[in-house]
Amino acid sequence: MKDVAVVAYGETKIELRSGRTAYELAAEVLEQILERTGIDKAEIDGVCVGETLSQTENSFWAQYVCEMLGLSPTWLELMGLGGASPIGGVARAAAAIRAGFCRTALVISADAQPSRAPEQGGQRFEFQYPTGLHGPVGAFGLIMQRYRHLYGFKDEALAKLAVTQRNHALLNPNSCEKLRVPLTEQDYLQSKRVSAPLRLLDSVLVCEGANGVLLMHDDNARRLGLEKKVFPAGYGEQTHYRLCEPMTEITESGFLAAGPRAFQQAGLTPKDIASFHPYDDFLMAILLQFEHLGFCERGRGCDFILETDLSYRGQLPLNTGGGQISAGQPRLAGGGVNLVEAVRQLFGEGGERQVEDRRNALVTGIGGIPYARNWATSAVLILEQQR
Amino acid sequence: MSREQSKTLPRPLPHPNAYMRTQPFWDAADRERLVIQYCPTTGRFQHFPRPVSLYTGRRNLEWREVSGRGVLYSWTLTIAPWPGHEDRAPYLCALVDLDEGVRILANLYNCRPETLRIGMPVRLVWERLDDKFNYPAFEPAIEA
Repeated sequence: MKDVAVVAYGETKIELRSGRTAYELAAEVLEQILERTGIDKAEIDGVCVGETLSQTENSFWAQYVCEMLGLSPTWLELMGLGGASPIGGVARAAAAIRAGFCRTALVISADAQPSRAPEQGGQRFEFQYPTGLHGPVGAFGLIMQRYRHLYGFKDEALAKLAVTQRNHALLNPNSCEKLRVPLTEQDYLQSKRVSAPLRLLDSVLVCEGANGVLLMHDDNARRLGLEKKVFPAGYGEQTHYRLCEPMTEITESGFLAAGPRAFQQAGLTPKDIASFHPYDDFLMAILLQFEHLGFCERGRGCDFILETDLSYRGQLPLNTGGGQISAGQPRLAGGGVNLVEAVRQLFGEGGERQVEDRRNALVTGIGGIPYARNWATSAVLILEQQR
Repeated sequence: MSREQSKTLPRPLPHPNAYMRTQPFWDAADRERLVIQYCPTTGRFQHFPRPVSLYTGRRNLEWREVSGRGVLYSWTLTIAPWPGHEDRAPYLCALVDLDEGVRILANLYNCRPETLRIGMPVRLVWERLDDKFNYPAFEPAIEA
């Protein structure tokens, strides 16, 4: 269905302790999108806002964002898929446009430093916090250990991912300045363990920032004279994969279900993917996604990484802006880092790190860390040029 | 990393009955008995406790004592502690598959990381957090 297009993107620089609020960061994204498209703000009649960690106490966050930014939508949605919210928002915005709820939809995520520690509550106070498991870091430590047991491991594969993405971040002016320093495989291998076997450099640096994309019907884009367009060609989403199997394998994820749906919709296979922008809160998540999305067989992730040129000039360019691991994770706006880079590349605006093959890009999202499993939501979006 | 050592150090206490009534779990724990939610319709256990059966979506649930025997499914050595656990680090967090067919997140005591292997049998031990709370943990069933 090549009827609805992404016609613009915006992204702030990712910063550490910027002192800026989520509203201020969101405003910068809106301004960039208006500047780039030249459209009137009043054209935006659909808004999809991602949940935050900095504004969790405000149940009316999405409405506040619109009120702050001067937007009066006929369709407004608050996305609560964590890191999967930005691409989940793209899929929902396309559906809302097709359903006639709105014509032009802004999918926006912004997150800043919370004034107090955000609390996810529920069962955690009784069945997680007293054990001292270190949140997502601990959860991925458990996943890594299990994977090592099942398949063995080559640490140099994750070291290669760290270095490849860091090299990309060096070419991305929006990446966090603290991370814009060269990294070697030795740096990765020597970084201290935080939740063994997981190392410090396996995980993201939590930052602040905002990003967003604008969607509209292709006919509308023509009316407005917008020429840059990419099309959401396939989408799959799975929350709580195999939830009701209490002893399920934690090295298996919802990508095993969401991936095939996205590929089938787009009429593509992993071999057809021109660049890959996987959600990367942890390097281990990238390795698992190579396997679960079918780029390689299960258990062969380390070999696949070592055998494949994943640089922006390589066989399968990976997170060409540095990903969240090396550009920084703007908290719950993190999924937009991977999304915006994919759109930027397909628009041919990758600058020094521009990929050659711009036919399509695969973007993913991961959100939420549930009890004794891996992650809550797996989402897969395939973006394609008009064929 | 012995159980005795960590006992003396402060750490976050559970907040019972906050998202649903979990008191039976803590009452049993106080008597060093591990009870897990059981769905009589399907004959299956579930953990953490929930307001419905994961298997039927119905509220027909009871608490049943389990053996406390299981196997190590995975583990991580926590070096950078979670807030409130600074004095205990490093400590082991593990996923344990109980013989009754349910997985539980818990600390692992009386062992060293080098001696652990996934699949090894483990057994329940109790860690007294304060006069109100006993917390389930595990140790190798065969002396490591």
